[in-house]
Amino acid sequence: MTVSPMEASRVRSPRMKERLLGIVLGGLALAVASLSGAWTAVAQTQAPPPGASAPPPVISQPGGSVRPPAGAVNLPDQTTAGGSVRPPGMSVEGPVGFAPAAKKLGHDSTTDLWRGVREGQGGNVVFPSREAGILIQSEGEDWRVRRNEIVARYGGQILLGILGLLAVYFLVRGRIRISGGRSGRVIPRFTLGQRIAHWMVAALFVLLGVSGLILLFGKSVLMPVIGKEAFALVASASLQGHNLFGPIFIPAILALFVLFLRGNGYGLVDLKWLVKGGGLFGGHASSHKYNFGEKTWFWLSVALGIVLSASGVVLLFPDALADRALAQLANLAHAISAVLFIGVGLGHAYLGTIGMEGALEGMARGTVDENWAKDHHDLWYEEHKRQATTDARMAEVRAAAVGDAALRGAGS
Amino acid sequence: MTDMPGSIAPDNRPVDVAAAVAKMEALIGSHLGSYLDACVHCGQCAQACHFHEATQDPRHTPALKLQPMTRVWRRTKAPFAGLRKALGLAPELTEQDLRDFEPLIFDTCTMCARCTVVCPMAIDVASVVAATRQAFVAAGLGPPDLLQAADNARDKGSPLGVTAQVLEDRCEWLADEHETEIPLDKPKAEVLLTISSIELMKYPDSVVAMAKLLNYAGVDWTLSSKGYESTNFGVLSGKGDVAKIAVNRIVEAAESIGVRTVVIPECGHAYGVMRWSGANILGRPLPFEVVHITEYLAALKRQGRLAFAPYAKSAVTYHDPCQISRRGGATADARYLLDGFATDFREMTPTGNYNWCCGGGGGVQAMARAADVRHEVFRIKMAQVEATGAPALVSACANCRLTMDESKAALGWDKELLSIVEILADNLVPKRAA
Amino acid sequence: MSLVELIEGPLWWLALTVLLLGVGWRIVALLMVGKPKDLSVARRSGIAGALEALLLHSVPHGGNLGRTLYHFMTGYLFHIGLFVLVLFAAPHVAFIEKRLIGVEMPWWPELPRWGFIIAAEAAFAGLILLYIHRMTDPVKRALSDIDDHIGVWLTFIAMLTGCLALQEAHAGLRALHMLSVEALLIYFPFSRLMHAFTFAISRSYTGATYGRRGFTP
Repeated sequence: MTVSPMEASRVRSPRMKERLLGIVLGGLALAVASLSGAWTAVAQTQAPPPGASAPPPVISQPGGSVRPPAGAVNLPDQTTAGGSVRPPGMSVEGPVGFAPAAKKLGHDSTTDLWRGVREGQGGNVVFPSREAGILIQSEGEDWRVRRNEIVARYGGQILLGILGLLAVYFLVRGRIRISGGRSGRVIPRFTLGQRIAHWMVAALFVLLGVSGLILLFGKSVLMPVIGKEAFALVASASLQGHNLFGPIFIPAILALFVLFLRGNGYGLVDLKWLVKGGGLFGGHASSHKYNFGEKTWFWLSVALGIVLSASGVVLLFPDALADRALAQLANLAHAISAVLFIGVGLGHAYLGTIGMEGALEGMARGTVDENWAKDHHDLWYEEHKRQATTDARMAEVRAAAVGDAALRGAGS
Repeated sequence: MTDMPGSIAPDNRPVDVAAAVAKMEALIGSHLGSYLDACVHCGQCAQACHFHEATQDPRHTPALKLQPMTRVWRRTKAPFAGLRKALGLAPELTEQDLRDFEPLIFDTCTMCARCTVVCPMAIDVASVVAATRQAFVAAGLGPPDLLQAADNARDKGSPLGVTAQVLEDRCEWLADEHETEIPLDKPKAEVLLTISSIELMKYPDSVVAMAKLLNYAGVDWTLSSKGYESTNFGVLSGKGDVAKIAVNRIVEAAESIGVRTVVIPECGHAYGVMRWSGANILGRPLPFEVVHITEYLAALKRQGRLAFAPYAKSAVTYHDPCQISRRGGATADARYLLDGFATDFREMTPTGNYNWCCGGGGGVQAMARAADVRHEVFRIKMAQVEATGAPALVSACANCRLTMDESKAALGWDKELLSIVEILADNLVPKRAA
Repeated sequence: MSLVELIEGPLWWLALTVLLLGVGWRIVALLMVGKPKDLSVARRSGIAGALEALLLHSVPHGGNLGRTLYHFMTGYLFHIGLFVLVLFAAPHVAFIEKRLIGVEMPWWPELPRWGFIIAAEAAFAGLILLYIHRMTDPVKRALSDIDDHIGVWLTFIAMLTGCLALQEAHAGLRALHMLSVEALLIYFPFSRLMHAFTFAISRSYTGATYGRRGFTP
């Protein structure tokens, strides 16, 4: 079911650019808008089946999965159509016997029959399934082209571009140090609950991200390197792992949303921050507990989390759907939002670790150095100093005590 | 902010690591070994420890206090110890370890066993700490004042220097002053009463109260100048020899008088040591029964030999001494005594076997350098008492009482601290009326 | 002999032998250390106390729910999930029947696919949540040593490879799972994973000691 580059270029019509734009815009809309609205947005990019340049009929398998073939399909012919092989109640809905003229399948097949097949008319099958009678779902070809030629190609370029940008930024700007060095005093930044929710999402992000990237890019990137057999193994493992960890992501991102909601509303100060470029290119930008970038990352994560969760659930149970169309749509939405999520997530991970001194400990130990807080969240720091509570004092004590130096010897 | 224990000034005490290792090796049995093996580092015990809760310092996690002994166990007696040692996977216990852990093993553990309740493995950290203290003392470490108290007990008969002569003088004075009989060195008696020198020197009224109650009930009792001190600073400080001397004195006195019962006064660890460890320290079963004063008074009350006028002065709450309730098993008797006596009795939360420690058990009371952290710990008790609304707190341990009195003064707290034997003795129904 | 055959044959039996002998020795040697007899007069039976402690310490009790609730929920999530997977996952049942005992056990329940998924998600969620807590909580950071991390990671990898092989279509994936399980089994007797057995000994000693005194903490 692969398309060679030659074929692919043939598939591309002059309208392709428009469609591409539509898909990208639709994907973005998905990320931001609510789910129901999003479906419509992307659905509008659905084009009529490609015409004459379509490849020969193949049985299209949804989701690129390694699921076994959908099962035997019995096209109606005289020997079975009138017989009693089919138990009552197992007939499929929709047009039955779409090729009455067909006498001997495979020999006397007519143009009409194949047109019927090609247009997705259903036949009769011997086991209960709404769809198994469909020999060719032509929209699947559309989906496949979009997935492989648009989402995967440009998604890959976007991700590589972001990595490149980060590398360039690191080379130019270097690690953002704490101005004036560490004060040695710390203040609490994230509660234990927040940290647990964050790292749960982060752990799943890595597991799902790696397996998902293998599923999306593996065939073009990995398979040529490791060979078909090894890739079959890796792909099988990735799919199973991805399906398994996916559902845990939903409660995790939900917990993240609830625990981090407070303080993530936008304000005027965010505009000023944005104008100053967040201090990323020098200078100082004031901010409360979360700056514009963090807030946007929060809301983007939530929006993309919703799309990923909803489309993910659809993809876990494709057979429960009325037809393939929704699963194909869900697959594209899943891939587009995942690419965005991973792309922005790379930037987040960069700033949270090597990109900025003193940032990681906020999420690891829950406390940050006072000078770090003054550098990056001055308004929050001042507010904290004004209303330092007993709890905060305790947290500071705990944080100070857990400093590695203090624990040397007393620890293991 | 209080100074954290752990900031002991550098000192030049010589440390004999080998002696510590040998002591631990000798003391670790299957039970301690199973504790050291079973800990999964879950950290739940932290929330049960008043030192951790008061300071939020992770070093005060009880499970951390298992580490010195775990280190020795893994190198010596544990299964696969030889393999571990050969592969270099079992680091030695070092002098630095001992110095680092000294404040954790002594200053910030009252051996109250609250952590055992919360531990999913039910590890008895208190017994590991008790054994570890012995090893530390063998190495030449330990808080000087606590060790001095133990030496006083060995040399003078009491940690506070109450010699037999002081005992005699004070008892005579108390008996005169309070017009009650305090028999000393009766040749034969049914009951040997012991006292805590904290009571005799700081709360003498409680000695008088015990005398009055026993006299009222017509008990054939006596004090003995051969064995009067019930506290055992040998156990608290980890000096095994002193522990044995202290137990021996009482056993010899009891045997010479031929008593059936030895009564432990208001002192938590004295009860725990004599009731549950006495025979083991001695190496043979005790030839008498050991009861706490609350147990003994409860028995007398059940027999109808004590009659009290109701205590209606104020609402009261009861502080369970850890070694009498949780680690002693005598939780119910204090309540039996208060039942029908204290007209407005209010339980704290938590209470009974799950009660918070006062902060001064396990000899911590006697360590001057632990005073600040002890006061921080006392805030937990203050909050507990205040939640009941009772203006008075009754207890059955002079050590708890002294700890709480000191913290009360240091923190300027306004609640009243009472002794259960004192309020009972004060409210005995006069004999003629009874 | 191919690598897969090696992993599924001799290596497997080696790992199982190390596990059984190691665990056995850990328990026997621990009990052989001995313990002086308690000469104090018991208030009630130590055996009753031991049994009580064995049950009691499986559930939160005596207050102090703060830290306990998290461990109670994530701990049970992980352990139940893991046991269900180990004992009832269909490939495991088949493995036990064919390789371990050689007898069909039609009465032994087998997880349907959805049951496997639920158990696996519970186990993973529990293990990851516990591990995150270990990495972020100051108390646990102070307590943790290399053994804690190795134990968690070996368990995680064994579970992960098992789930990656869920399609049961590649011998390589199955062998990878077997290999990681073998590493876990060999590591087990020398590590804190032994708590799976020592918990009972520890609880019993405390239960007996305190039970004699009249209160099982």
